[in-house]
Amino acid sequence: MRRTAYLFLAPWLIGLVVFTIGPVLATLFLSFTDYRVLSPPRWVGLENYKELFTDTETFWPSLGNTAFLFLELPLALTIGLALALLLNQKLKGMALFRTIFYLPSLVPTVASSMLWLWLLNPEHGLINEALRALHLPTPTWLASPLWAKPAIILMDLWGVGGSMVIYLAALQGVPQDYYEAAELDGANAWQRLRHITLPSLSPVIFFNLILGVIGTFQYFTQTFLMTKGGPDKATLFYALSLYQNAFEFFRMGLACAMAWVLFLLTILATWLVFKSSARWVYYEGEKA
Amino acid sequence: MRTAALLALALAAGCKNSPSSNRLRVWSMWGGDEEEVFRSVLRAYDPTITNLPSVSDDKTIRALVAGAPPDLFTLKDPSALGALAANKALRPLDDLFAAAGLKETDFTPGALSQCRFRGKLYAIPYLLDCMVLLYNKKLVQEPPRTLEELEELCKRLTKRDSTGRITQIGLRPPEAVQLLGAAGARFWDEKTERLTADDPRNIEGIRWYKRLMDAQGGNEAVEAFSAGFAEDMGSSNPFFKGLAAMEFSGQWNANWVFKYTPGEEIGVAPLPYPADSPKLAGTAWLGGNLFCLPREGKQTDAAFAFLKWSQTRAGQLTFASTMHGVPNQRAILQEPTLRTGAPWRPLFARFLDLADSPRASHFPVLPVAALYQSELTAACDAVRYGRKSPQEALKTVQDKVSRELEKYR
Repeated sequence: MRRTAYLFLAPWLIGLVVFTIGPVLATLFLSFTDYRVLSPPRWVGLENYKELFTDTETFWPSLGNTAFLFLELPLALTIGLALALLLNQKLKGMALFRTIFYLPSLVPTVASSMLWLWLLNPEHGLINEALRALHLPTPTWLASPLWAKPAIILMDLWGVGGSMVIYLAALQGVPQDYYEAAELDGANAWQRLRHITLPSLSPVIFFNLILGVIGTFQYFTQTFLMTKGGPDKATLFYALSLYQNAFEFFRMGLACAMAWVLFLLTILATWLVFKSSARWVYYEGEKA
Repeated sequence: MRTAALLALALAAGCKNSPSSNRLRVWSMWGGDEEEVFRSVLRAYDPTITNLPSVSDDKTIRALVAGAPPDLFTLKDPSALGALAANKALRPLDDLFAAAGLKETDFTPGALSQCRFRGKLYAIPYLLDCMVLLYNKKLVQEPPRTLEELEELCKRLTKRDSTGRITQIGLRPPEAVQLLGAAGARFWDEKTERLTADDPRNIEGIRWYKRLMDAQGGNEAVEAFSAGFAEDMGSSNPFFKGLAAMEFSGQWNANWVFKYTPGEEIGVAPLPYPADSPKLAGTAWLGGNLFCLPREGKQTDAAFAFLKWSQTRAGQLTFASTMHGVPNQRAILQEPTLRTGAPWRPLFARFLDLADSPRASHFPVLPVAALYQSELTAACDAVRYGRKSPQEALKTVQDKVSRELEKYR
């Protein structure tokens, strides 16, 4: 019985060991070597890690840029939730509005990056045309080290529909009788939001937050396509720097060390979020 | 993720049996229309050769690591040559070169020096690219000879509309390494085998970059304006349209300007030099499409036989006449078919002459060339955006890239 079960599990297990666990462990070994891909790795101990932590030109700035990107999480959460609350109203044609706000998140990353390259274009871009029409100052967006990161956050917020839909689904699962009881007790809209809606949504907020943390650490495709890390390293995010070391500069050992630092940072951040969750995440049937 | 993919691919490639037939397998960088041209070249030589088009260097490197490389391949990015050679992935070609009766003196100096690493030949270019100064004749009557003259022109040619927005610039922001090359950069000391990133010439070169941007309304304004440029290939080419009066670019423009514009006239001149270094007059910056053989190739002789043919008059002209690249050898550069006939040919001939200039330079072949170029560009950016002084920025490059180079000693 048991043996047959393993037989059926085998394709997946072999795949996991050969294509995931094996390579992951290999990168741990390689992170302690000078590995230039084309010749066999040479053991260098902690050299790669030492080089990373003393690299104030690339490693730390890339980490700093990635940290800046974390500003996106509260913004995405607030906007996603606010949209979900608005789209949860009982209005005519609501399905249409929901579709409109959800639609951008269906656009593939590559396509939306190309699109935003034009939207953000300082010369002919729609955004600056609009700002000009309103006589507002027009930032140079991706051509400016100051504005490049805000521009990227702006672009990502356009795709907030993905998390919005999850909030919306969760909102519809909040029992109506809570609100009725609260209203009878004289709770106003803010109090209902603060004491019923938010606690009820907290498991979903938690879920989106964890995904957001991991996604932010791995942020890559958009800047790879749009800015290649520029201008003046303003959008050189951690994963892009890792990619360059591994696939452009023949520094695979260093890149593996970066991958492990990234892994540990992600675990640490996720653990912190998990740890804090005891204080603000409520599950049904649990006492607050 | 990527490492996993790499290993998986290496495994998959390693399992494959070597092809039983002895047809020559070529991996080349060309795709689309260019692939067609290359295919016809191969057909002219030997119809049985198989060609895999649009191959990235990444893919070639994985195949080399996996021990399953093709018999012959192109390097899209010449800056990878040093790393491949230093890690013993390539077959040195000196013996084959000599045995084939090819003579170094027949080649333009830049053609083979960009294929040499620690004295050995590791590649042979099919065609070269020759980057020089192009100017729009409607806007620039006399091309600038010096960087000082270029700066003056940049000031004069930068135009704004009534609201203060830039409508035209003098010089399109060039690649940092090319401007450094124009200013007589010293990237590497052949004698001491040391990196010279912080050489005073390079400091001067980066300072020139900033000066040229400042002359056009400041770096950020120029960047913002040129971010609006359409693609080079096609009738919206920003240089042909006069949005930038000058640019550093290559010989393909000779054909393009006739193909994409109704009658725009462009001029070709050597890269401008600092007025105090007149011996830099006549500078051009070279690139090329390099052909390499894997270290342990199964068909080395057959592969080199094709390379040898590619360097013959017929081999060079078949490709050069349709690809608009620059041939490698002095005699072929003088071919009338490349210089006359189609209306764009005389313009093209200017590039051919400059490719054979004694001041035709290229980036040194180093195992760390890719990192070095990327760091130089980053240093130039840091200075352009006013974050660092040229000295400070280049000191960083010197330290970082030297440390990486130490690993190869």
